[in-house]
Amino acid sequence: MKLSDIIKKYQCHLYTPETFHDKDISYAFCADLMSDALMVLNSVKDDRVLSECLLITGLTTNQSIRTAEMLDIDVVLLVRGKIPSLKVIELAKELGIMLIATEHTMFNTSGMMYADGIKGIIYNQQW
Amino acid sequence: MVKEYQIIARNYDLAGRASSDIKRTLKAMNVPWSFQKRVCAASYEAEINIVIHSVGGYATFEITDQAIILDFYDDGPGIPNIELAMMEGYSTASELDHANGFGAGMGLPNMKRSSDLMNITSDHEGTHVHLVFYRGETHDQ
Repeated sequence: MKLSDIIKKYQCHLYTPETFHDKDISYAFCADLMSDALMVLNSVKDDRVLSECLLITGLTTNQSIRTAEMLDIDVVLLVRGKIPSLKVIELAKELGIMLIATEHTMFNTSGMMYADGIKGIIYNQQW
Repeated sequence: MVKEYQIIARNYDLAGRASSDIKRTLKAMNVPWSFQKRVCAASYEAEINIVIHSVGGYATFEITDQAIILDFYDDGPGIPNIELAMMEGYSTASELDHANGFGAGMGLPNMKRSSDLMNITSDHEGTHVHLVFYRGETHDQ
């Protein structure tokens, strides 16, 4: 699924138009606990998987952006209408990360994406 | 090459800066992607631990032909029971730490999982976490 289609279909707001570039999204992982994201996504051995992955989170602090940076994930999707602060948006821009947000809840966002064929990352499972 | 970074306690705005610089350095050196990722995941957890649990400290990052060596030093108050702290899920973190996406007792276990060698020494004057990542070796998690 194209990122532009995700933005349109899930009515996402793009906070960082400067960093936007359209791309395929085939995988996703959702967490509010960044240690989970670090552990599970660190187990992925194929860099193409994370390059087509987005991080779904309700965490609107710098730490969600930093975590994405550590894992080379360049799309962070904030759920349930959370609004990031300007410093978080600035950090995302600085690091070339696309920060988007939807009004949908984490459960509904994940469910809709799964139904659209986006696969969930599982610890130590390789594709 | 050796680099050193100051880490400030309770400052979540700056937390992750050291690991970010380490990431950029490894990327610029064309270090293999999965190796970069496990060094940075461990580094970020260790950096966050100093932010959460200590009164402040610093990190050093050394690259040799054989390994990447990370050392994290803080000025206390120390870990009373290292064995307990190594258990997944054990945490003394606060609500603020949870609100920032950390503090669920996964930091030290994640560091151990990501690194090839990990040593911790701690007393009331501070904690030293030593992490080594051997270059060119396959790492089984």
